[in-house]
Amino acid sequence: MFTILFVILLNFFLFRVLPGDPARAGVRDPRLKADAVEALRVRFGLDKPIINCFNSLNPIQIGDCGVNPLDTQFFIYVRNLLQGELGFSYHTNRPVAEVLAERLWNTVLLIGVGQILAIILGMGFGIFAAWRARTSIDYVAVGTSLLLWSLPTFWLGILLLFWGSANGLPIAGKATPGMSSMPLLQQWGDIARHMFLPTLTYTIVFMGEYTLIMRSSLIDVLSEDYILTAKAKGLSAFQILKDHALKNAMLPLVTVIAINLGFTVAGAIQIESVFSWPGLGSAIFEAVVRRDYPILQGAFLLIAVAVILANFLADLTYSYLDPRVQAE
Amino acid sequence: MQTTFQPTALPQSESRFSTFLKAFQKSRTGVVGFWMIVVVIVIAIFAPLIAPYEQRASASTIESIYQPPSAQHWFGTDDAGQDVFSNFVYGARVSLIVGIFAALIAVLIGGSFGLIAGFFGGRIETSLMRFTDIMLVIPDLPLIVVIVALTKPSLFNIIFVIGLLGWTTTARVVRSQTLAVKSRKFVLRARAIGAGKAHIIVRHILPLVMPILVVQAVLVISLAILNESALSFIGLGDPTTLSWGQMLNFAFGRGATSTGAWWALFFPGFGIVWLVLGLTLFGQGLEQVLNPRLDTHHLMAGKPSLSKDALIKPLHPSTLVEVQNLSIHYVNEGKPPAKAVEDVSFTLKEGELLGLVGESGCGKTTLMLSLLRLLPSAGQIVNGKVFYKGKDLTALSEEELNDIRWRGISIVFQGAMNALNPVRTVGDQIAEAVMKHEPKFPKDKIPARVNQLLELVGIVDDQREHFPHQYSGGMRQRAMIAMALACNPDVIIADEPTTALDVMIQAQILELLDSLRKKLGLAVVFVTHDLGIVAELCDKVLVMYGGVTAEYADVDTIYNNPKHPYTQELLKAFPDLTKPKKKLSSIPGYPPRLDALPAGCRFAPRCPAAFDRCHTEQPALHSIGNNHHIASCHLVEASK
Amino acid sequence: MSAEHFLEVHGLKKHFEAGRPALFSRDVQKVHAVDGVDFTLRRSEVIALVGESGCGKSTLALLLMGLEDPTSGMVKFEGQDITHLNDHQRKDLRRKIQMVFQDPYESLNPTQTIEEIVTEPLMVHGFANVPDRRERVVKAMEDAGLKPADVYMSRYPHELSGGQRQRVVIAAALVLEPEIILADEPVSMLDVSIRAEVINLLAELRITRQIAVIFITHDLGSVGFFADRVAVMYLGRIVEIGTMLEVLENPQHPYTKALISVIPVPNPRLRHERIILKGETPNPINVPSGCRFHPRCPVAIESCKASDPPNVTLSKTHQAACLLLVK
Repeated sequence: MFTILFVILLNFFLFRVLPGDPARAGVRDPRLKADAVEALRVRFGLDKPIINCFNSLNPIQIGDCGVNPLDTQFFIYVRNLLQGELGFSYHTNRPVAEVLAERLWNTVLLIGVGQILAIILGMGFGIFAAWRARTSIDYVAVGTSLLLWSLPTFWLGILLLFWGSANGLPIAGKATPGMSSMPLLQQWGDIARHMFLPTLTYTIVFMGEYTLIMRSSLIDVLSEDYILTAKAKGLSAFQILKDHALKNAMLPLVTVIAINLGFTVAGAIQIESVFSWPGLGSAIFEAVVRRDYPILQGAFLLIAVAVILANFLADLTYSYLDPRVQAE
Repeated sequence: MQTTFQPTALPQSESRFSTFLKAFQKSRTGVVGFWMIVVVIVIAIFAPLIAPYEQRASASTIESIYQPPSAQHWFGTDDAGQDVFSNFVYGARVSLIVGIFAALIAVLIGGSFGLIAGFFGGRIETSLMRFTDIMLVIPDLPLIVVIVALTKPSLFNIIFVIGLLGWTTTARVVRSQTLAVKSRKFVLRARAIGAGKAHIIVRHILPLVMPILVVQAVLVISLAILNESALSFIGLGDPTTLSWGQMLNFAFGRGATSTGAWWALFFPGFGIVWLVLGLTLFGQGLEQVLNPRLDTHHLMAGKPSLSKDALIKPLHPSTLVEVQNLSIHYVNEGKPPAKAVEDVSFTLKEGELLGLVGESGCGKTTLMLSLLRLLPSAGQIVNGKVFYKGKDLTALSEEELNDIRWRGISIVFQGAMNALNPVRTVGDQIAEAVMKHEPKFPKDKIPARVNQLLELVGIVDDQREHFPHQYSGGMRQRAMIAMALACNPDVIIADEPTTALDVMIQAQILELLDSLRKKLGLAVVFVTHDLGIVAELCDKVLVMYGGVTAEYADVDTIYNNPKHPYTQELLKAFPDLTKPKKKLSSIPGYPPRLDALPAGCRFAPRCPAAFDRCHTEQPALHSIGNNHHIASCHLVEASK
Repeated sequence: MSAEHFLEVHGLKKHFEAGRPALFSRDVQKVHAVDGVDFTLRRSEVIALVGESGCGKSTLALLLMGLEDPTSGMVKFEGQDITHLNDHQRKDLRRKIQMVFQDPYESLNPTQTIEEIVTEPLMVHGFANVPDRRERVVKAMEDAGLKPADVYMSRYPHELSGGQRQRVVIAAALVLEPEIILADEPVSMLDVSIRAEVINLLAELRITRQIAVIFITHDLGSVGFFADRVAVMYLGRIVEIGTMLEVLENPQHPYTKALISVIPVPNPRLRHERIILKGETPNPINVPSGCRFHPRCPVAIESCKASDPPNVTLSKTHQAACLLLVK
């Protein structure tokens, strides 16, 4: 909760404090007259003072003390936020919330499928490499994973895009134009075909790291004394892996997945830009190009809150997996 | 009298740096990574000499756009007809500068946050780490994008922002390392000497945090380079410099894909991968030196037993366990084998309690683990047999052996905290053994059986559903014993079951083991370094030294008529409450290294009675009288 | 100044806060780690403080070293109250009381050479530039049995054996020429065959350098040869104190009796009946009422539950805190 509050504050002040008048930057047209700019400032609420001084709470006395605290940009921002209003796009003038909402699910779909695939494959390779530690299988798995880890996401996307276009796969967008008139099943098939390359990129980029983490964590667990106990009990290797090692080895992976959620979004921005996938990431990309700050601000807020919530979920999972955490 | 050591026994000292270099050279990945980085650094420094064309020198003709690689343009040309190779060479400079300076900022901030939080603790730590956690969950790249989009995308800003946001992991890592170092006893000792905070930080904390900081820095450099390229790619790079990311951005945005100009996209990306991979490998190599990981575990296939002579039969068929001339070596590539156990024999009758005594590293645990073939993968039975009820355990398949494990022979391990799985309840782990070996046992009666076992060892009040961390140390050891009893074994191996427990708890556990042995008719092998416990408890005693049998006899003979000088000296070194004024003597020197054994008797360098022959010839096992008293010493042979 | 007043400890207590039983509860639970300890130490005397884990002996060591502040009570050294000193006075005192720790593998900084380790105390106390610095270091090392010192100077701790490391720790203590050495389980991590080496060294130092030793251990067996007096601790208190022979051969407190009976004797002909106490040492958060030992005491009577026993003087040197001894 505290973190979300911090993000809201950061988000607000970042966009006010940093140089560049938003109105001027938003409408970069030198032909605009001063009064037109002023009208825009009023339209976007930028004429109001940023904060009032909150008297006692504000010992350094920034802000204007003579104004009604309810009529400041900050208050309006918070009030709008609570009502789900994120302002209007400078570029299309559409409500930011609306623009982001239609983009959000595409990103969730891409990240969701990609993350799940990466986790499953990474775990699988990691378990296999750990089990066969110090064999050539293990060395290949580790080497490949290190290489995958070092790939810039967008560059891998570009390479796959080359490869995909040579093989007749769709390389841009989410659906073939005109598809909406086709039967539902065919539409889904079309989306799946469009999703293939972005998801593949996504999976490959994250798989390497998960393989490495799973491998080293499983090797750690498998060299614990209680594994020796299990072996002495006469359990087979498969039983030991399943009943004694996996749950324990998952713990570091959960932590890394949680921390990774931030990087996840970074990956999405790059992949969506390469493949013109209509998600939040490409919204950010376009907003950067057009200097559309409200979109950028809204997207950042949305992503930050989502990542924080996901972290919270990861904490819950962790305490479910490890009884020692519950005890504290 | 003071004992002084032979200075020659010490290995030649080396400077820490050369030790480090040696260790680092062993890490192949680290060395490869190092040279990969060196290549990039050389290219960056000598860019003007290497690049055939000026940076961004464009030919003005239309034909020169997107030329494929040729003798003139090794990497082809880009959308403006510029030589990709020359831009690539200069691009290395930008990537390195961004990486190094951003990492510098990140490591400085993260390092000082972590150090301050870890060292001072309390409120300072809580607030600093709270702030770090918040910064850690806020997604990096989007925030960088936002900030760079709002400010001017100059190289300086990019470095600054990436550095400013990349410190969180460093702070966490440094903090936990600081905490770990701070809790070590030498810091307490420095305080006890009277050293102040500044002295402790500079002299004791920093030298041990520094290496971790360097590894982190390498990691942060690679992350910064990746971040910079991503940033450039989405169009937020510094328009006045041409980094690898910028090259990709221009090529991708200006039709390289549609024209099929793969070279304009491939080479800059390849540069990034090369450098980041080099850094990652280098970081891994450093990490390996700091924190050597063997990457071995208990499920790795062990080396097959070399003891294949099927004709050897048990000599004492009536005994429960018979170990014949067992030798175990640890085989590591490129090193001489460590002869951990050499030619050890003993027998175990029903209901007998054998004490296995020796100091740390004498091979007693290795010997016990080898009985059930539980040795780590490097350990190999090179000779000898283990018979259990006439079956040769060294020759059984893993599946056949699994039936004997726990049901025939079970083990109580040292330090029950680690020997119990922390994420499963104690009862669950006991039930597992029952279900494995008695698959027909009715499921609904298992909880009752587990409770019965726990009651047998004195754990009442239905604590079956508790996790190991909810038990005290003594209770965990009791639970471990209950688990060992779960399948009604004939033999229990107790490997230092009371080490690290308080004397009173130790007495409780010993009494429990002894009463269970009498009640259930168990045979027990009790492994310990404590001569007192052995005297109180055991019927027969096997004294081991440096992997070999020193002496093997019944308990009274060992204590009242020992023949081997090691047994005699060990008894003199052991305090006896009944003779409080007795001056204790120590055995000078230290046990032999198992991979560099002396030529003669392994005890000879420390033996007060050693003579010439002892240093050149290994003594054989000699039996004394007809009381099954065995000792390996030339003196015994001489006195016969 | 009489020999009696070398080091005196009066009613020393240390209570730690253990957090609250419930999130918003007002009362803070207290760990009664050290709960009223009195004893005196004479010059060049060896006193053994014996007890199981949780009896407060390690906390007592930290209190005596001034590494923790006591909750109440007083420590006097050479007649001067040293309980509450400022940093400067404390530093001066540190030269006179030095400590040897349990784990010689942990108590040496792996990045320092042996010479740096042994010289460090001199630097800290401002003797960096004394002309005989090197001689002092060599003498301390050779007195600690690291002979010849030159061989060890440039080594790192990992190149030495456990016994040698413990000698390095002792040398680093000796270099300041202390009057008291506080040894916290100095041999429990060492192998049996080299334990005597460290104990004998400490025993020698008291004679050659007139150093008093406070020897903290859980192993009654190891105190015999070398301690003059033995104090047995249970749950933060000394329950019995006396000369070594008085305590080992004529123990009076039921806890001491039990503790001595369970020490294994390395002679199978002397197997004997043992008094095995039930249960474990209670958590020092909830110290039992009355006599703190009564729930586990095999001879407890009804009144033990209610009244805290006084120290009963059995001889000039022997005291025990048990109601059954009150006549």
